[in-house]
Amino acid sequence: MASVTFEGVTKSYGEGPPAVDGLDLGIVDGEFMVLVGPSGCGKTTALRMVAGLEDITDGVVRIGDRVVNDLTPKRRDIAMVFQSYALYPHLSVRDNIAFPLKIAKVPKDQIRTRVDDAARILDLEPYLKRKPRSLSGGQRQRVAMGRAIVRQPAVFLMDEPLSNLDAKLRVQMRADIKKIQSNLGVTAIYVTHDQVEAMTMGDRVAVMRKGELQQVAPPQELYDRPVNLFVAGFIGSPAMNMLEARVERHAGGVAAVLGDARLDLDDHAWLAPYEGRTVVLGIRPEDLEDAAIAGRDDGARLRGQVELREALGSEVLVHFTIAARQAVTEDMRELAEDVGDDRIVGQLAGGEQPASATLVGRFSPRTRVVEGDTVEVAVDQQALHFFDPETGLAIRGA
Amino acid sequence: MRIRVVGLGARLVILLTFAVFFVAPVLWLLLAPTKSDKALITNSPFSFGDFHHVALAWKHLDAFSSHIFRRWIGNTLFYALSATAITLVAGVPAGYGLAIGRFPGRRLVLSMTLVVMIVPAAALVLPIFLELNAVHLIGSSLSVILPFSFFPFGVYLAYLYYATALPPSLLDAARVDGCGELQTFLRVALPLAKPIVALVFFFSFVADWNNFFLPYVVLADSNQYPITVGLWDLLSATPSFNPSVGGGGQSVNIFKPELALATLIAVVPVAIVFLFSQRALVRGLVGGAVKE
Repeated sequence: MASVTFEGVTKSYGEGPPAVDGLDLGIVDGEFMVLVGPSGCGKTTALRMVAGLEDITDGVVRIGDRVVNDLTPKRRDIAMVFQSYALYPHLSVRDNIAFPLKIAKVPKDQIRTRVDDAARILDLEPYLKRKPRSLSGGQRQRVAMGRAIVRQPAVFLMDEPLSNLDAKLRVQMRADIKKIQSNLGVTAIYVTHDQVEAMTMGDRVAVMRKGELQQVAPPQELYDRPVNLFVAGFIGSPAMNMLEARVERHAGGVAAVLGDARLDLDDHAWLAPYEGRTVVLGIRPEDLEDAAIAGRDDGARLRGQVELREALGSEVLVHFTIAARQAVTEDMRELAEDVGDDRIVGQLAGGEQPASATLVGRFSPRTRVVEGDTVEVAVDQQALHFFDPETGLAIRGA
Repeated sequence: MRIRVVGLGARLVILLTFAVFFVAPVLWLLLAPTKSDKALITNSPFSFGDFHHVALAWKHLDAFSSHIFRRWIGNTLFYALSATAITLVAGVPAGYGLAIGRFPGRRLVLSMTLVVMIVPAAALVLPIFLELNAVHLIGSSLSVILPFSFFPFGVYLAYLYYATALPPSLLDAARVDGCGELQTFLRVALPLAKPIVALVFFFSFVADWNNFFLPYVVLADSNQYPITVGLWDLLSATPSFNPSVGGGGQSVNIFKPELALATLIAVVPVAIVFLFSQRALVRGLVGGAVKE
């Protein structure tokens, strides 16, 4: 068991921008740290540098107190689970799990008991004699886990271990992995591009983008207080609604003007320095509610046209348009590309912005709105997010 | 309907013609040792004589130059197995290194391997002869084994396999699991390459077994001949192919049936090697390693 520390770690491949750029990150002993970000953000490269599978161009990686930059993977006391599982096809399940112990020349009887223990934890006992090719995806994944835990390593490294499983199994394995990790108390670094996995599994989550660390925080803090537009847009599903808003003075306070709508904001005096300027206003879907059934009434309202109603049982996702402009920044373009949203990518590339924006609201199932209705939407003004459109950074009060 | 029948008929005729064309000589060869030299000419080409003649042919063949035929088979096995062993020990790791390693000169070595692969072996016999002469190896078994231990096709096969079929994450997994580079090769890369090892073994063995020109040039003593050169020696001892022998009171009993038998026996080891390698060749070992 050990901490893992990145100090100014950089990885470059020849020309071009570095894959990982000056990463500073401390992972404490026993912590479950998730590295998350869109593809190509450098999260896997960072993980592979801890594993020793990738040279470190600059900076220092420590495991415990040891600088491991120049140590081979073998001498780092780590175990890794690969996205592809990377099981040895010529070995049985038992021999796969025992492999690292055999290499480490652990006595035979010990190998036997430790493999049996791992197999019991992972429900693999009936399959020990089989070859990987006769196992299902979930079973292979568990064998890969077994091979990792049997070593009792100082650090677990996991590179998108669930991405090849179907959705249901993924939810199950998510819980299993988290449970195993906390029972063993081993430090874990977990790489994923799935923000739901990141939120549900991580003690803390590190969001990366283009090789740079954006924010490290516990999941809830990441969700509630994103430091910039990128993190705000990446974390949360459906994603945060982003609108252009002009800050205006209003009766001793400030107001945000969205097209022809106006949100009077109490307790937002700290926005005053932005008076007369356009900022990006972020609203989480759950902070929007059908005004007809909203309990509170603090006056912040938007009026829109319902385009689509998605009833999910416990909630209703309502897509509605308002006469305001969608905020468009480089971050949003990248996020849209990452999720393959051609509509937004095309719209962003199109230059001139339409003067209407589609928002998604997470309404109570009691809402009666249907497609085509004009709806009055109550906004929880305590939960609004503001970002500087130039820097993308969050604007916050004290 | 009619067109289909005609098409089927045409196909059948074409296939049969080719089958007969290629099978006939083999059949003739198989039947030849069962007949006497004379019956071979007078009887129908595809008639079966009797097993007595096979035994007689073997007796004659075996008696030739006091059992030298057995010696030739032994020599060939020794040359082919030694050269193939060196090929495997050197060629498979070489292909692995070229596929996995990143070192200066890698591309050059790869293209050189390809170039040498397409140069006909016979074209190199003269320079190899001069080289062997310079290191005083002419006439020794090494002069046959060493040049044929160099088998660029084997290197290339191994390279192709490791560069395309072996998932890199398996090697990463082995490294993380505590293997050094040598152990990674021996414990993971090599066992997975069984089909390729079998393939290289097969091609190398067959090439060595059939090698005629080089041993013909570098070996002088008929006791050292491999079977290919031996067969040539036999041919020149047959009155039917070389009228200058067999006349002057020499009792060389090598005629066409003996030659046919010698040829058949010379092919048997290659056929056996093929049967054994083939099973390993078709086995897809990498299934189930990584989910794509």
